[in-house]
This record gives sequence, structure tokens and C-alpha cells, in this order.
Amino acid sequence: MSIPPIGAMPSVSAASFAQPTQAVRPSVGGEADFGTSLGSAIDGLQSMQSTASELAIKAVTGDLADVHDYTIAATQASVAMELTATIRNRAVDAFNEIMRMQG
Amino acid sequence: MGTFAAIGIAGSGLDVYRKWIDAVSDNLANINTVRPSNEAAFQARYVVAQANDNQGGESGGVHVAGAAFGSAEGRLVYEPDHPLADQNGYVRYPDIDMSSQMVQLIMAQRGYQANASVIDRAKDMYSTALTIGRN
Repeated sequence: MSIPPIGAMPSVSAASFAQPTQAVRPSVGGEADFGTSLGSAIDGLQSMQSTASELAIKAVTGDLADVHDYTIAATQASVAMELTATIRNRAVDAFNEIMRMQG
Repeated sequence: MGTFAAIGIAGSGLDVYRKWIDAVSDNLANINTVRPSNEAAFQARYVVAQANDNQGGESGGVHVAGAAFGSAEGRLVYEPDHPLADQNGYVRYPDIDMSSQMVQLIMAQRGYQANASVIDRAKDMYSTALTIGRN
């Protein structure tokens, strides 16, 4: 059995690690503003929660085909609720941070 | 499925295993269903599972493609006192093996539990992601 000799290390160039940064342009009108996207997220959340409550009614009335359908819908609604609340809280934190800048 | 793909996929698994348990319970319920020898026996139900193709925006999962049926011939049992027995004293029992059905029951139950665990873990993971950078 022969052990191959250790070859030379390839040279490290700085450019391969650090890509040149691009200037971030604020997009005006290109993307939906925060209020709109939060609003649509809340709409989605509301439909998830109404699905969950419809399934809860079905469970009570005996029309529920699958037990896990309800628990999955309830889980999704609760995670989505947490997600929306987190996004909203972060945004409010950022806004407050900006407001403190002028003092 | 989007954000909660793992929950949706595991949910489709729950659907399939629930249907498998339904099929097994049907087989066990009818394991002593007797027919006259000139009629077809109760046919065992089998669930045919099939992976979802990823066409059309679906992100994986499984569904029940259909049901397969066991032998209609069953097995002839000599029970001359049975009210359904023919002139030779035979009745037709379904060809279902109790131990095989019990094993399938355990497999279906464990599969259901595994998919339920996936949903729990996925929910924990999403909750963990929400705590990133909280402090």
C-alpha cells in the first residue's frame, strides 16, 4: 500500500471569500410596504384560524372524518399566530429604535 | 403547503395510516363472516399507498391510490350444523390471517405515531426559529 505525498495547498485569494458588496437601494413602490404585507399575513392567519374553528365545530357535531385534521389545523394556526406576532413585535421594536434616533 | 411543508407531509402520512388501520379493522371485524359455499367470501381489504408526485406545486407526501382486495374464494370449512352449510356441509370463510392482521395493526399504529411525532418536532422547530434573536 502506497501513501501519496501531501501536495501543496492551493493559494487562498481574498476574493473567493469576500464578495464585493452591493449597495442596497431602497425600493419604493417595487415591493409591497410593510403594512400591506403584514395585512396579508394577518388575512392568511385569519383563514387558518377559521379553518381550525370550522374543524372544531365538525368535531363536536361528529362530522370530523379525521381527528388529526383538526389538531394539525390548530397547530398550524397557533404557529402562524406566533410567527405573525413575532414579525409584528420585531417591526415595532425597529420602529421604536428609529424613533429614538432623533433624541 | 409553503411554510409548514413538514406538517402537511406528515399529515398526509397520518391520513394513509389511518386508512390502513380502517382496512385492518374491517378485515378483523369480518374475519368470521360466513357465506354459503356458492357465494364469494368476504374479501380482505388492502390499502395501496402511493407517493405524491412533485408536479403542480405539491411538496411531497403520500396518498391512498386505491384499495386492493384479497381472495374471494376464501376457505371452505366443514360445518354441517351451520344454517348456511351446503348439502356437503361446507361454508365459506374469508381467507384472512388473524396474526398477519394484528402485525399490520401494529405497523399502522407505529407509522401513525411516527408521523405524529414528526408534526410535533416540526412545530417545535418552527417555534425555535421564532426565538432566534429574541434577546
